[in-house]
Amino acid sequence: MIRNQRREWAVAFLLVLPFLLTYGVLFVWPTIQMVQLSFTDAPLIGTGEWVGFENYIEMFDDRRFWTAFNNTAYFVVLTVIPNTLIGLAIAMMVSRLKGWQQSLILAMFFLPYILPVSVVYRIWNWMFNVQFGILQYPISFFAGETINVFRTQWMFMPAVALVTIWWTCGFNILLFLAGLRSISPDIYEAAALDNANRWTIFRKITWPLIWPVTALVLTIQLILQLKIFDQVYLFVQGGRPDPSMVMVQYIYTMAFQRNQGGYAAAIAVALFVIVIVFSVLQFQLLRARGEK
Amino acid sequence: MKNLMKIAMLSTALLSVGAVQAQETVVWWDFLAGGDGVRMKSLIERFNEEHAGEITIQPTTLEWGTPFYTKVQTSAAIGEGPDVMTYHLSRVPLGVESGALAPLSTEDLSSVGLTADAFQAANWEAGQSDGQQYAVPFDIHSIILYYNKDKLAEAGLLGEDGKPTGLDGAENFMAALEKLKGGSQYSVSLQTSGDGTPWRVFYSLFGQQDGVFLAEDGTFFPEDSIPKAVAAVETMASWVEGGYAPQLTEYEGSVALFTNGDAALHINGVWEVPTLVDLEAKGELGFEWGAVALPTFFDHPATWADSHAFAIPNNAGKEMTPEKKAAVLEVISWMNENSLSWADAGHIPAFNATRESEEFKTMEPNATYSILAETAVFDPKSTLAGVASPVYDAVANYISPAMNGEMEPQEAIEEMKADLQDQAE
Repeated sequence: MIRNQRREWAVAFLLVLPFLLTYGVLFVWPTIQMVQLSFTDAPLIGTGEWVGFENYIEMFDDRRFWTAFNNTAYFVVLTVIPNTLIGLAIAMMVSRLKGWQQSLILAMFFLPYILPVSVVYRIWNWMFNVQFGILQYPISFFAGETINVFRTQWMFMPAVALVTIWWTCGFNILLFLAGLRSISPDIYEAAALDNANRWTIFRKITWPLIWPVTALVLTIQLILQLKIFDQVYLFVQGGRPDPSMVMVQYIYTMAFQRNQGGYAAAIAVALFVIVIVFSVLQFQLLRARGEK
Repeated sequence: MKNLMKIAMLSTALLSVGAVQAQETVVWWDFLAGGDGVRMKSLIERFNEEHAGEITIQPTTLEWGTPFYTKVQTSAAIGEGPDVMTYHLSRVPLGVESGALAPLSTEDLSSVGLTADAFQAANWEAGQSDGQQYAVPFDIHSIILYYNKDKLAEAGLLGEDGKPTGLDGAENFMAALEKLKGGSQYSVSLQTSGDGTPWRVFYSLFGQQDGVFLAEDGTFFPEDSIPKAVAAVETMASWVEGGYAPQLTEYEGSVALFTNGDAALHINGVWEVPTLVDLEAKGELGFEWGAVALPTFFDHPATWADSHAFAIPNNAGKEMTPEKKAAVLEVISWMNENSLSWADAGHIPAFNATRESEEFKTMEPNATYSILAETAVFDPKSTLAGVASPVYDAVANYISPAMNGEMEPQEAIEEMKADLQDQAE
C-alpha cells in the first residue's frame, strides 16, 4: 500500500492545529508581550515608553525585590524536600494497608488537597487564633504563653510552610503510591529470600526504583513553591506585608496596587527565568543521579 | 386568571413608560461596612425614594482599604468602574497620579451648588491636584477616645460634669491606665497590628509635637522630627509593654474588647459611634459609654483627620453621557445637602450649611468632639500617602512592630524613613 506522506502530514497538522493555536494565543504570545512590557514604563493597562534595561537595573537595587527573592528561596527550602519525604513516608505506610482500609486512609490524606486555599486559610487561622485557637493549648504548654504565630516574624514562613505541606501532601502521596505499586512484588520476594532486613530493602530496592517518581515530585514541588502567593497573601493580612513578601506577591503589588506594569513585568521575567533554570537544572541533576 | 393577566400587562406597560422617561441608574461603590455603612444605606434608600422614576443608585459595598482601591484602580483602567464612588481625600494625589480619577469641571460642580465656599477651604482644596478638582468632600473624620463610664467612675477618673478628667499628658494618661488596670482585662483597647489605627494614633501624637512627616524638599522625617516620631512610637509602645493595651490585635478584635466590657477605654475612629449607639439601643451594651476628643499627650491638641469624598473614576474608553453625568452630580450634591444623617454616623459633615446648622451643633456625642475640626492634622499631601498607600504599608511594617516591642522605636523610624525615601526616588 502506498502511503501519501504529504497527506498524512496535513492530517496530523490539522489535528494538532487547535492545540497550537491555543498554546500560541494563550501562552506564547502573552509571554512575548510580557517580555516586551518589561522594557517599558507602562502602567498596569496601556502602553508605555521604551526604557531599555532600566527596570532590570532598578530591580537589582530594590531591597524589596531581594527580600521577596530570599523569602521565596526560604519557602522553597522549607517545603520542597520535606513535602516530598513526608509524601513518600505516608505513601509507604498507606501501601501496607489493603482493600477498603487503604482507600479510607488515602481519602483522609487526600481530603485537604481538594480544599480551596481560602478555606485552608480559614481553618488554620482559626486553629492558630491567639484567643480561641485549639493549637494554643500545645503552644502555651511548651512556650509558657500563647503566641500569635502569624504575627511573629520568625514563625511566619515555617507556619505557612507547615500549612502548605498539610494542604498539598495528598497529591504527592498519590503519585508515590502509584510508583510503589509499579514495583514488582517479585523483587521484594527475592530480597526476603535473601534475608534482607527492612532498611536494606528500602535502601537497595524501594528508593532506587521509586527514584523517577521522586524526581518528578521534587520538580513539580519546586516549580509550585517558587510560585507561592495565595497562602502568604492571605495569612499576612493585617500584619507586616514586607518582611514576608514573596516574588509573585511583589509582582501583584507592583502591578495592581502601584500601577507599575512595566516594572512588575520585569520581576515576572526574572521569576520566569529562575523557574526555568532551577527546574531544568534540578530535573537534569536528579535524572543523572538516577541513571548512575 | 384573566385579571392576573391584565395586572401583569398593565404593570409591564407602566414599567416601560418609566423607561421612556429615561431613568438613570447610577452605579455606586463604597467601602463603608461598619456602623456608618448602615446609615449610608438608609441615605441611599431615601435618595432612591425621592428620585423615583428619575435616578436610581445601585450600591455595592466593597472591603475598605487596599482591596477597595486595588479594585478601583484595575476596573477604571479597563473602563469597568462605577459611575460614582467614595474616596479618601488623603489618597487624591496617589489616585490622580495613577490615573484612576476623572477631573470634575467647576461649571459642572457649581451647577448643583458644589462650590468652594460651600466647604472649608483646606477640605475643598484637598480634593484638588494642580488646581484641578477631582473629589468633592463629604465629611471630616478623626479618631476619638471612647470610654466606659462605669469603669472610669470606679477608678475615680470622671469629673463633676461626667466627662473623663486627668487624661492629658503622656504621664497622666499612663497613671490613668494604671488606675484602670484592675477593673478590666485591658485599660485601653486599640488596633495594634497592621495599618489603620496605628497610623492614626501615631500621626496624632506626632502632630501634637509639630512633627514634620514630609518636608517641602521631599525629605521624610527631617532631622529634628525624628526624635518627635520616636517619642510618639515610644508612647504607643509603652501601653502595650505595660500590659494596658492588647498585643498584636486586629481592628475587629479591638472593637469587641471594648463593647464586651473587657477594656475601659478605646481609641478608634468616629465611624464606630453608630456601632455603640445601636448596641445601646438594643440593650446589648451593658454599660454607659461616652466619647471625647483624643487627649493631648504632648505640647498641644492635634488629631489625625481624613475625609470621605465622592469621586468619579476615570473609566478608560468610556465617555459618560451628559444625562448620566447630571445624575451623578445630583447624587453628590443631594448627599452633601442631606449630610446631617451622615453626622449620625459619627462623622463631621464637610458641607458648611450642615455643619453650621443648629441640629448638628446639638448632636451628641459629635458636639463633644467637634473641636476636632479645628485641631485636625491631615495626611501629608503626597503620592506615597493616603489610605492603602506606601505610607500605610510602612506603618504596618515598622510602627506596628515597634508598638509590640518587636523593634526599637528609633530603628523603626529610621527604617521607615529610608524605605519611604527609597520609594520616592
